[in-house]
Amino acid sequence: MAEVVLQLVGASCRHYISAPTLTKPWKKIRGPGIPKIDLALYRGTILGLVGPNGAGKTTLLRMLAGVLPLQKGTAVFTSLKGDQTIERELSTSVELRKVIGHMPEQVRWQGKKSVHDAITEIAAMRGSSEHRILGLIKLVGLNSRIDSPLDELSQGMRQRLTLATALLGSPDILLLDEPFNGLDPVAAQAFTQLLQQLSEKGVSIVISSHQVSGLIGIIDRIALLHRGQLLIEGEIKSVEKDLELSDRFDLTGTSQPPSSKLVKKLGMELLKSETDQNSWQMQLKGNPDGVLKKLISEGIEVESWQPHAPDLVEMLCSSTGLRVEDVGLEITSSAFLPLINRGVEEE
Amino acid sequence: MSGKVSYRKVTSLIIKEKIFSTRMLLMFPILLLFIPGMAWGFSDPSIILPGGHRPETPMEVLFYSSLGIVFGGTMCAVLMAFDGVSKERASGVLEVKLAQPMSRLSQTLALVHGTSVAVIIPVTILLLISVFIIRYRMGAWPELMDIIIHIIATGLILTWYTLFTLIASSKAREQGTAMAFGVGIWFFFTFLWALVTSMVALASGIAIGQDNDSSWIALEGALDLFSPNGVYHHILETRLSGVQRGVSGWQIWLMTIAWTVLPLWILAKRMEDLVP
Repeated sequence: MAEVVLQLVGASCRHYISAPTLTKPWKKIRGPGIPKIDLALYRGTILGLVGPNGAGKTTLLRMLAGVLPLQKGTAVFTSLKGDQTIERELSTSVELRKVIGHMPEQVRWQGKKSVHDAITEIAAMRGSSEHRILGLIKLVGLNSRIDSPLDELSQGMRQRLTLATALLGSPDILLLDEPFNGLDPVAAQAFTQLLQQLSEKGVSIVISSHQVSGLIGIIDRIALLHRGQLLIEGEIKSVEKDLELSDRFDLTGTSQPPSSKLVKKLGMELLKSETDQNSWQMQLKGNPDGVLKKLISEGIEVESWQPHAPDLVEMLCSSTGLRVEDVGLEITSSAFLPLINRGVEEE
Repeated sequence: MSGKVSYRKVTSLIIKEKIFSTRMLLMFPILLLFIPGMAWGFSDPSIILPGGHRPETPMEVLFYSSLGIVFGGTMCAVLMAFDGVSKERASGVLEVKLAQPMSRLSQTLALVHGTSVAVIIPVTILLLISVFIIRYRMGAWPELMDIIIHIIATGLILTWYTLFTLIASSKAREQGTAMAFGVGIWFFFTFLWALVTSMVALASGIAIGQDNDSSWIALEGALDLFSPNGVYHHILETRLSGVQRGVSGWQIWLMTIAWTVLPLWILAKRMEDLVP
């Protein structure tokens, strides 16, 4: 396994919310956020940070980026010097920001300022050279737009500009908040390749998303976040296994679907089945060895057979043991995760 | 690149952006009308002001022309600063900036410095043009110290209004509120402060607006310390002979420091705690 590049230990950051009382109209209490988290980022790996709306993905990324302070806990950074690894605790947000590139979600660059001027302004805060600025503009494919006003950029181009600002300091860690929003498929593909190249160079990348499917094939590890709590983190295969979501397959076919008896006989578990007039689709779970061959020999007309990638809903329901309504829409108030006791609200 | 170099670069980029903005282009004719225009008018040898006053020295003309700064210059500062934080916060650019390894305090100071200097530069140029106009119309130069104090005081009042507006901009989630807050403060100190002074005088049993009444003059002088425009005029009055408003020099400089440091501290604190 790759070595750890950054480790958050007992890190916490909760937003202050107004809770006025008659005697204290200015009173604020600690509200939602990240109550406590332990997370390790590995060199040269891409971590997918997934969770539903309001899970705390953006807050966690902002903590990692040094935009929000760590109210509790520490961030330990490991750097490489030759063959030696040097561990040091990053005591200030500025130190954290030196090693991290942050690409926030959907930055709406606007105004008459040119692309070059906009990135130069950010680069001045990092001390990046003109050569670096021009190189990055070229890297993200904005060379032909270098003198265009920001108002004339499409959302995809704005995303690329934000990526260029995140790469300014040659960061060891790159944080991307919903980076694929607004990108067309071609740009998304190019973006993915760029991320893989950066990862091969040893950059640790964190991509937040509320869709697991879009990340499969890009990420090496996955972290599932819900209501500010890290439910599970690890390599995709092991997370799937831990959540009992591995070894699932989607089948489609025509004419008669396999009977439940046949499925059982093949040692598989039938999870879902839908039958139309001339076609059918199924989801099976179990060891796939030889199953397809046996189905065909039984005269079943199979059109497609592919592993089923878990989605966010399945992962959340599996890890919390809650129903989808409770997880997604918070219908039942008792659905509050009992994993960490946040204690009483603090002033 | 060291922190100081980064700070200078960021500040100069802000100045460049603001000084060549459409807003400045729109404000410039107004500043031209208010600053050299007033100097031209007040330096007219035959002018008689309401109350029979007649500016006799170049510094007196500069003092009366400072009304143009109070009306036009401060409004320009408000218009340049009202979206200094709120616009970038709403668009997400602020988060990109806050993720850079430049401390929030340095970023805040660069913003204040850059925005205020972008207003101070054209206003100072127009002030210097006013000095030449006075020389042309009255045949005499103001003293060098008069000019220096005038430029410093003008720089301060423009910085104060920039600070007030940036505080509003950091509080407001959208630009309309920031704009309303900035213009509101400008309106309050520029137009309504006289009403506050009158109300306090009325409550204290002092006859309002009696220029020969020492109690009224003392009260007005004291209350002016609590208004940025008032402090600005107090500083300018230190260069006028025969003005006695019952306020000591140390009080003026103390309030000058207070009007500079307090808003700066509030803005820095606000920016330190800001969630983008």
